[in-house]
Amino acid sequence: MARPLPRPGTAPGWPALPAVVLVLAVVGAGLVTVLLQALGLLPLIGVPRLSGAAFGDVGRDLGTGTALSLAIAAASTAVAAVVGLATALLLTGRRWLGAAAALTVPVPHLVGAAAMGLLLADSGVLARWTGMAGWPELVGGRWWVAVVAEYAWKESAFVALLVAGALAGRLGPLRETAALLGAGPWRRLRHVTLPLAAPALLAACTISFVYAFGSYEVAALLGRASPEPLPVLAYRLSRSIQLTERPQAAAAAVVLVVVGLAVVAVAAVALRRSLARTT
Amino acid sequence: MTALRRLTGVGLAAWFLLPLVPLVLWAAADVWRAPAALPQQWGSSGWSAAAAAGGWAAAGRSLGLAAVVAVLGTLLGAAAAAALDGGRLRAPRTITALLLAPVALPPLAVALGLDVLLLRLGVPAPVGVVAVLTVAALPYTTYALRVALAGMDRGYAEEARLLGATPAVVWRRVRLPLLAPAVATAALLAFLVGWSDYVVTLTVGGGQLVTLPLLLGSAASGVGDEPTVAALALSAVLPPLAAALLVARLARGRTG
Repeated sequence: MARPLPRPGTAPGWPALPAVVLVLAVVGAGLVTVLLQALGLLPLIGVPRLSGAAFGDVGRDLGTGTALSLAIAAASTAVAAVVGLATALLLTGRRWLGAAAALTVPVPHLVGAAAMGLLLADSGVLARWTGMAGWPELVGGRWWVAVVAEYAWKESAFVALLVAGALAGRLGPLRETAALLGAGPWRRLRHVTLPLAAPALLAACTISFVYAFGSYEVAALLGRASPEPLPVLAYRLSRSIQLTERPQAAAAAVVLVVVGLAVVAVAAVALRRSLARTT
Repeated sequence: MTALRRLTGVGLAAWFLLPLVPLVLWAAADVWRAPAALPQQWGSSGWSAAAAAGGWAAAGRSLGLAAVVAVLGTLLGAAAAAALDGGRLRAPRTITALLLAPVALPPLAVALGLDVLLLRLGVPAPVGVVAVLTVAALPYTTYALRVALAGMDRGYAEEARLLGATPAVVWRRVRLPLLAPAVATAALLAFLVGWSDYVVTLTVGGGQLVTLPLLLGSAASGVGDEPTVAALALSAVLPPLAAALLVARLARGRTG
């Protein structure tokens, strides 16, 4: 990491321009259109008129959908955090565990959803292996088990690799020092390992949470028809043949963005604190 | 303690591998009536059904989409990372935040806005899909290359300059070879974004771009055709898995 200081500018700034322009154009155009639609300013038919009616029309569904999506994201992120952290801590000296975790990373979520369906459905592979009788309703059931399981499965590998990367090379010496100073395994975990893993764990969990909160296909495939998670509600309304439902779909998309950004903002504050503690 | 650790390790490996088992079994099954623990009749009917449903053409479109997103995402991300690393960019923190922001935005929300707009503007649907997915890939490519540039040992480049190499030669013969693993990783991440996408292709694509995930989505939402679902799902896993193995090998070969 030899880096001569001070260093004169070695590369100009303009090459960042294409990426910045593309992000601004795509995200800006998408979000502005959604906002205008939700506020009634961009109707497919009729006269534009500023109104919050789209939010009111589906207010209850928006509330239920937001709560449900937050619960699904929270449950799957909690499982992913525990499993991912345990995996990261047990990786050293177990290359096969690292390979098993790395295997799930390139699996598309839709494939994960199809796999969870074949595994957990009432005629699924687990039901067959355990003898069928009294198999709980995991796919399309009340507790959204298969949906949570899919996100938890994929994201636990993501958490494991990110945390293992952050710990690599840093954990060993610190743990040894702590052991020499007389810290037992439990205190080493609490005072050395966890604080060192915390920033990466927090960042990975935030990305996982926001993904699970805003993604459509897993909940659509493995969930039940009602109540609808927020992304499923947004998508269904947007495909409705009733053109009046387009603003309602846009309203759901606006809530999706606002809640997602709020979660990231809270996480960013926590991340800054946890980084300040470890560095 | 060690026995407990070993048991936990095995349990965790099972957690990661178990969901893939039904895919492998069903993709090799012709007949598998419940409650049998294994298929009654092995065969490849799922693969023929997947091919008959247009699996090959869909896989080709998926590969094309993922390749375009990988190339664009890596090029734009590399340019941005180099600019951020160069230290002559104004407001580097704002630019970084902007380029990482798409990670926090649900692609569905952006897609629902864009599909109306692109229709009105007359932009071809595949162009819209590529644009949205490239934006979704940029946080990963920019971040991976930014970290690699920051951690690069500048000594080699400086020595080459002292020995009389021109800046262009330094880039080609010193910097790029040092960066190759990071470029490969960035390209892989962008490839995965393009290959795995379902909802953007579905909404912005407007049915014009039938990729492998779209075929799988419609097969999986029906009931009773498990061999086809498993064959399509496995086809959607194998190419990215092969790409990931290739990149891991490249990265290891450079450092080891």
